[in-house]
Amino acid sequence: MARIAPTPGQKLSFLIFTIISAIVLYFDITTNSFNSIKNEFKSFKISVKYVVKVSTLEPIQSLVKSFRNKDELISENKILREALDLSYLNNYLISRENIFYKDKEIIKKIHMNSEFLSTYNIAKLRNIDPNMYKCCDRHRMFLEIIKSNDHNFLESTVFNYQGIVGHIIDDNKFYEVLLLTDIAHSLPIKLESNNFFCNAKGSGRAGYITCSYNPLVWTEEIRKNQTFYTSGLGGIYPKNVEIGHISSINYINSNETVFDIKLVSNPLDTDLFGVYRDQ
Amino acid sequence: MTSFFKKLLILLIINYVDKNISVLISEYFLILPLTFMAFSFYIYKSNKNIAAFEAFSIGLFVDLISETYFGLNAVIFCMTTYYINLNSNTFKLFSYLQICLFFGLSASAYVGFNQLIINIYDFSYITLFFSSITNIIFCGLIAFIYSYFPKKINLKI
Repeated sequence: MARIAPTPGQKLSFLIFTIISAIVLYFDITTNSFNSIKNEFKSFKISVKYVVKVSTLEPIQSLVKSFRNKDELISENKILREALDLSYLNNYLISRENIFYKDKEIIKKIHMNSEFLSTYNIAKLRNIDPNMYKCCDRHRMFLEIIKSNDHNFLESTVFNYQGIVGHIIDDNKFYEVLLLTDIAHSLPIKLESNNFFCNAKGSGRAGYITCSYNPLVWTEEIRKNQTFYTSGLGGIYPKNVEIGHISSINYINSNETVFDIKLVSNPLDTDLFGVYRDQ
Repeated sequence: MTSFFKKLLILLIINYVDKNISVLISEYFLILPLTFMAFSFYIYKSNKNIAAFEAFSIGLFVDLISETYFGLNAVIFCMTTYYINLNSNTFKLFSYLQICLFFGLSASAYVGFNQLIINIYDFSYITLFFSSITNIIFCGLIAFIYSYFPKKINLKI
């Protein structure tokens, strides 16, 4: 549709409004008469911005921030947990109480050199079936060894901050660990007095190994709560490491007595393990 | 009345975009007066003549939201409206290139006038020159988009 050309009246109105605009412009430049209006508008704009920000952006931002903080806390907590587990492992290995190093000179040497880390590798738990561990007789777990450096870890002792949990039997993608409680496992143990030795078998029950002996051969009196240590005779585990204490004794007949040992270590308690390298 | 407020709202949004863009491109000696261009296009596209009072009031509104001197945009908007109203039928004889040149150069005139009033001590011919070229290219780009996507972009240049 064609637009008609401005009529003389419209032209006049344009002229008038242009002149008015020019006058307003001149007054504003010379006298700043409209500053109050401008300031009112600015304050209105700031208020609107503030209200919009408070009612829309800030709740979203605080929500995002809280999620981010939560994630950061979780990740920080994980890092701290790992550091704590690592320090537990270190403490366990270098503490004099566990008799891992019975020779005190070795302990001193380790303290002086600060190289105790070189005696074991850190391993992360990759898989363990807690149901299988608690119900059945096949007790295995799988570890990933950090910085393994192609070292041969077969038959290496695996421990956590509480004590020995088993040894490595397979080194595929992950290292398979035969736990002390697996019925296929056999552990040579002894009393601290060195007057009693026994081959403890895995009981298939969580936290217990069992030992059977002939009282006619071993005359040493066995009592509840006596502590047992590794004897080192199997060639896999180091000597004199605390394993557990007797929880129950069952006298089968005059030729056979069976007792259960409650282990000091529980593989379900931690995700971080040490794999001891026999040097 | 509703359509008038709708126009004001659209101008408010375009002015917001205009301000944000000007912060980014000012270091390259460029000024792209999107608000003025949008208003010019609106007058050009309109089927009837825009009244002087409407141009004046919209100009004052733009002055308010742009935080410039009152009357600055009002003067330019009144004059532009009058000129486009006067030549609305003549524009139909023009090619796309001529119309783009007209709008680009009128935007450059707007930039020049604005700079004379609000930035007289730092008036820059480089800014004016680069802005003129950019405005013409920008108008050409709009026309180009329209000619290639005529159904999706409802702009009549």
